[in-house]
Amino acid sequence: MNDKELVRVAGTIQDALEQLRKHRYTRCAAQLSLFAGTMQKLIRDSRRLATGLSRDWFAAAERSCMTINRQLGEIPFLVSNLQSLLDRRHRDVPSLSAIAAELWALQQEFDDVEFNGEEDALCVVTEPITLEDTYLGRFRVALYLGSLRELYQKTPYFVMAVDPHPAATDYAVTHPHVTNDVLCEGDGAAAIRAALETGRLVDFFTMVRSILTTYNPDSPYVALSDWEGVSCYECGYVMDSESSYYCTYCENAICDECSSVCAGCSEIVCKSCAGTCEICDSSLCPQCAKKQCSECESVCCESCLDDGLCPVCKEERDKHEEEQGTENNQEPTTGQEATVVGGRLADGGQRAHGNYAALQPHGMGQAPLLPGQVRQ
Amino acid sequence: MKLLFINNLGGGFADYVDVNDGTTVEEFFGDKMGHERPEDYLIRVNRQPVPRDYVLQENDRVTLTPTKIEGAG
Repeated sequence: MNDKELVRVAGTIQDALEQLRKHRYTRCAAQLSLFAGTMQKLIRDSRRLATGLSRDWFAAAERSCMTINRQLGEIPFLVSNLQSLLDRRHRDVPSLSAIAAELWALQQEFDDVEFNGEEDALCVVTEPITLEDTYLGRFRVALYLGSLRELYQKTPYFVMAVDPHPAATDYAVTHPHVTNDVLCEGDGAAAIRAALETGRLVDFFTMVRSILTTYNPDSPYVALSDWEGVSCYECGYVMDSESSYYCTYCENAICDECSSVCAGCSEIVCKSCAGTCEICDSSLCPQCAKKQCSECESVCCESCLDDGLCPVCKEERDKHEEEQGTENNQEPTTGQEATVVGGRLADGGQRAHGNYAALQPHGMGQAPLLPGQVRQ
Repeated sequence: MKLLFINNLGGGFADYVDVNDGTTVEEFFGDKMGHERPEDYLIRVNRQPVPRDYVLQENDRVTLTPTKIEGAG
């Protein structure tokens, strides 16, 4: 900025600070008006209550009491708002020469200072910032003079990354303490506001720079340790470490979509390590996927196995046993059992179900081939 | 002698203070900031950086701004 521009900008800033001062008084007046209105309502209702009582109109008196009670509840909030506005120390608007001196000193402190007439913003660009070996680049701090008068309601400045190196998990976070171009001032909030109120521009911009060049690991939007994110081994999705899972077997990081919980032991496994129960399709870890049906050798989870058999083989075996039992019941009985009971099954053949020993057709060449047995 | 002291640590503070004649910036810092380290502050007098042995003058404006301020998220 040349001297002429510098004085012009100083004048604009002085106007903005005058507006800020006026805005504070305007808000005080508005809050006071609300408070006074509530007090007037209280007086009116107290009169109504007295009138109701003098005429024994208890229903009207009750309504007045309820209204008074509601209005009394509003008073602490109104008083608190009003006091916070009135408590603020009076800040003199600096002279034009003082603001010009601030602008001149600002140019000594920062290499890149400009006033953007279109945006009505005083802008400063920082040096490239690197925090704990994470390169974040340069930041443009823009103080919007039109918004300065609303300092107590919203932030009048924004911090924009010139050459953004945002967090891999959230592109809106260009700095651990900046999201959507808004700086979370933390410990510097009160001092920054005080500097803006009094037109101390050098203090304001240097404090913003101090926050940008300091990393607070206790309260970042995205921690620097997560800045690059964690890539899912299966699908490549980039996530933060809190959202990632690790396969119990290969120990690779995986996302929520690519992780599964073993139906047998509840361990977390990735898609590559996971097996599947061929009956119910549930995921299994490599250890639990070793369980197989003893007949067909299909992979089965614990809950699908019954007597070491998958449901299909189990059903076939049961069916076979049932048929075998029926056949034996119809054929003339031979062997030990028949001998014992005199040529007939004592219980009419029903005992044969589920008792193979009772049905062994010794010497008949008709031994049934049970599931799991190998034909000789 | 009287000078304006602006401390941007914490909530910010600005007021006139009395100091002895011949007080240097380094002595002033030690007196006002106790155990704080000067290298953690940007120390300016009348908006300009000064050496540590600068002798303060009547009506000087001394500004201390921390170079490390913890933001939040």
